[in-house]
Amino acid sequence: MTRQEPPFEPAPPRATPADHATRVSRRGLFKGAGAAAVSAALLGARETLAREAAVADEVRTQGPGLVPITLRVNGEERKVQVEPRTTLLSALRLRLDLTGAKPVCERSQCGACTVWLDGQTVYACSVLAVEAEGREVTTVEGLGTPSDMHPVQAAFCAEDALQCGFCTPGMVMACAFAVKQHGKDLTEDQARAAVAGNLCRCGTHPHVLRAALRAAKGE
Amino acid sequence: MKAFTFVRPRTVDAAVAALAETGGAVHAGGVDLLDRMKEHVDEPSHLVTLLDVPGRDAIALEDDGGVHLGAGVTLAALAENDVVRRFLPSLAEAAGQAASPAIRHRATLGGNLAQRTRCGYFRIASFSCLKRGADACPVRAETGVQETAAVFANEPCASAHPSSLAPVLQSLGAQLGVQGPKGARSVSLAEAWRAPEKGVAGDLALAADELITAIVVPPRTRPQRVGYEEVRQKAAFDWALVSCGVRVELDDDGRVSDASIVLGSVAPTPWVATAAEAALRGKAFGAEPIAAAAKAATQGATPLSGNTYKVRLVEVAVRRALTRALEGAKGGAR
Repeated sequence: MTRQEPPFEPAPPRATPADHATRVSRRGLFKGAGAAAVSAALLGARETLAREAAVADEVRTQGPGLVPITLRVNGEERKVQVEPRTTLLSALRLRLDLTGAKPVCERSQCGACTVWLDGQTVYACSVLAVEAEGREVTTVEGLGTPSDMHPVQAAFCAEDALQCGFCTPGMVMACAFAVKQHGKDLTEDQARAAVAGNLCRCGTHPHVLRAALRAAKGE
Repeated sequence: MKAFTFVRPRTVDAAVAALAETGGAVHAGGVDLLDRMKEHVDEPSHLVTLLDVPGRDAIALEDDGGVHLGAGVTLAALAENDVVRRFLPSLAEAAGQAASPAIRHRATLGGNLAQRTRCGYFRIASFSCLKRGADACPVRAETGVQETAAVFANEPCASAHPSSLAPVLQSLGAQLGVQGPKGARSVSLAEAWRAPEKGVAGDLALAADELITAIVVPPRTRPQRVGYEEVRQKAAFDWALVSCGVRVELDDDGRVSDASIVLGSVAPTPWVATAAEAALRGKAFGAEPIAAAAKAATQGATPLSGNTYKVRLVEVAVRRALTRALEGAKGGAR
């Protein structure tokens, strides 16, 4: 496949409330597809070709070489060139110099690379950078700065919720998501569940849970 | 990871055409697929992603009381969605216990069913593996690491099926909606699996250019109870050692008119405990028949020297899942 040069295609439209509203009729399409296949068998070659051309319009390809994309990271538009195989984690760390998210297992097993994609926690090691185009990426750097910390970051300092620090950026993103989700009602069980996918080999979990609860209560 | 072309169809038809044309791998959440690619267990030249196909995350209650789940529904949505929680409580529970929050935000229902076994011999390219073309399964060898391996139907391959949602959906009689070049078809999940074969990595009997489009759980026709239980080594963020989904239909006298008991992680595909189902039928649903059914669930087990303990876990998981069902979860619409 040929490499795309800018200006490149805009990102596909994201699902909107209107899409949700039309979902029932889409299901109707699914149910009718069997009949469509039968009628397709009756179509002549010309119609088949026309249909194939229509299908071709419904596909775009990227790579395997470098693809220029624009990522929206921590509220800023950042242009980068990545191969489709480049993970969001690699793009953030190696292209955008955002080294908060950590590469540890790179197999969705440790949580050190936890970031937010459209406001939800994901492991950046298992997201492709090309997928993140048109979506909102938030890393620990975007949550707050040393002089203007997010409540969870401040609570991590206050509760001494880190030892070696390698899991910390992921822990902070997971805790901040839980605080965003549950607000001041966050329970210890909910905080525990929120960081279930973030491993800490130092064993700092009790302090992490205290920090999450402190941030939630706005102390 | 080997370089690949990222193919982004906007419709299911275009995705099916792209799969046929490129011989590529289906990509949705990418959780399992990218892991395998990083280990060079899979090296597709093309990934056909379903991310740009709209409407794949629909959850809808049908007019007849069935529940339609788009294949792109995330595990997080399954765990939190009101329709699923109300009408398919055992499914919501299984989804909520799977993996971690960050994975549940990404992992899809279709991907959960299509994921490959967690068997370490399968997932590390330098080991030989029957599913990847070797003549024999190294798990079964004298030196094999067998702790998490299958205890039923574990010859010639002793891999354990990883999905904890599949046994639940199968216990609920779910249908798999599949689309391929010849159109759409619907197949009972119970009949969608294939026994391990040399060189065949996947456990679903789908063609390479077929896609899972939806999972449909039919309406219940009689009063029923459902339950789910899984046993893990760790309290959270771990694979099930044994998982179990049950559905028990009751007649007007509270007797079991039908039972479906399906286990995960104990065989190369989801495992139906037929002897346990038979042990329940006709009995007044209660503790004694549950204990008998749990015992019967271990019939036919052929554990390896390293995983005899899993047979005991089968009994425990079935007993707990049925007890959960007895305690209350009704499940199903109407």
